Amino acid sequence: MKRALLIVGGTVGGLGAVLSITPPQITSSSSVSSLPGAMPALGGAKQNAPTPTAKATQSSAPTTAATKKATPSAKASAQSSASATAAPAQSQSATATPVQTQAAASAPATKSGVSGTFTGSAVDVSYGIVQVKITVANGQITDAQAVQAPNGRNDRYTQMAVPILRQRTLAAQGANISGVSGASYTSYGWYTSLVSALKQAGL
Amino acid sequence: MVREQYEIEVWGTVLYIAAISTSLDKAAIDVAIEEVKKFVFDVDEVFSTYKNQSVISQLRRGEIEIGGCSDDVIEVWNGCNEALQLSGGAFDPWAVAGGFDPSGYVKGWAADRVADILVQAGVQHVQVNAAGDLTLRGGYLNKEGVLEPWKIGVVNPDNRQEVLRVFEIFDGAIATSGTYERGAHIIDPFSGVIAIGAKSATVIGPDGGLTDALATALMVSGDDGAQWFGQEELSEYSAWCIDRNDGGAWGVGPVFADEIARQ
Repeated sequence: MKRALLIVGGTVGGLGAVLSITPPQITSSSSVSSLPGAMPALGGAKQNAPTPTAKATQSSAPTTAATKKATPSAKASAQSSASATAAPAQSQSATATPVQTQAAASAPATKSGVSGTFTGSAVDVSYGIVQVKITVANGQITDAQAVQAPNGRNDRYTQMAVPILRQRTLAAQGANISGVSGASYTSYGWYTSLVSALKQAGL
Repeated sequence: MVREQYEIEVWGTVLYIAAISTSLDKAAIDVAIEEVKKFVFDVDEVFSTYKNQSVISQLRRGEIEIGGCSDDVIEVWNGCNEALQLSGGAFDPWAVAGGFDPSGYVKGWAADRVADILVQAGVQHVQVNAAGDLTLRGGYLNKEGVLEPWKIGVVNPDNRQEVLRVFEIFDGAIATSGTYERGAHIIDPFSGVIAIGAKSATVIGPDGGLTDALATALMVSGDDGAQWFGQEELSEYSAWCIDRNDGGAWGVGPVFADEIARQ
């Protein structure tokens, strides 16, 4: 039996939940590594602050709409609906946009802390040098980039993301989630340089 | 109720573990974590393609045969083969330059094993996050003692601070693969060039190794992945893909079937 294909509408942006900023929730933690700084909040801890949960729910609203509209093609076999996915999905973006705007407007951004950019140590890995620079705004990590990467493989390291970094940042900003799944590159050099940048920032 | 978190530097990244136990004290969980550390560092020694003397490196150079390898290596080899078959060849660790490279399977496979070590030791509620490949066990017991699902956010590959969708999982695994604005890291085994099928692919299902590998495969297949993902053998697995061009998304599998039923 072929299973139904659900077309989830909306642009990537439209589906996004905008996270409200709340101080990090630090729960009992124990680190077996030398990684400095606060641990991400354990689990989807209940928050008193304006609930990110509600925003997450709102942001899934366009999904609902898309689900209903997509029912005809969802009845088709997965095989035949594959090519039909792009068009209806795109047409949902109008529905999604207002939700994003609403969420963005209600996100408070008040937190004080260290700001600036911090460049980690240059780490010699077998295939070249890796060096990471992080951008911190009010104690929150907003970006991480490679300032040095092995020749010819720059692209691979330019936008690398370290899940723990994201998990920590998202948890600190009050996302009501207990874990983060996201594409990632793994690299000894990247991580070592990142840790040194985090230490410089005092995070 | 004891709630602990651990970060272990291994595999060129950080292995994050959340452990909640209603029966063990912290010292007992720490003992289990020592066993976990032994396992994950052993996995690194055996499966790392960065290490010249790892079993996998020797396999790649043809110095040893798979038949003479440990049970774990054979299990991973067979798991990779299963993923190859299920994905219609879109996941093919034998097609990469330099020989057999199970990296797209091992992290998810190892996350399962780590979770199982902790469950065996008496940790009822476990989250293992191996660089975006997560294994969940027993749901999340909140501070009021109420059992909830683990809520796992999938982040936007273009904006790491943005959660695109939250999946609720009690037991199972979730893996996300993706590309970034300026880079791609998955090779299409059919063409040998960088895969451009999807912008981000998430797979949710019972087996960590398979979710890891299938997420990679969906990156290669893009929308065509909906075809092989519809097969009966994957009926317990769900996929959520973001198109690389228009940002539209599609989902297939039980996770979304429930969602439709609730409407």
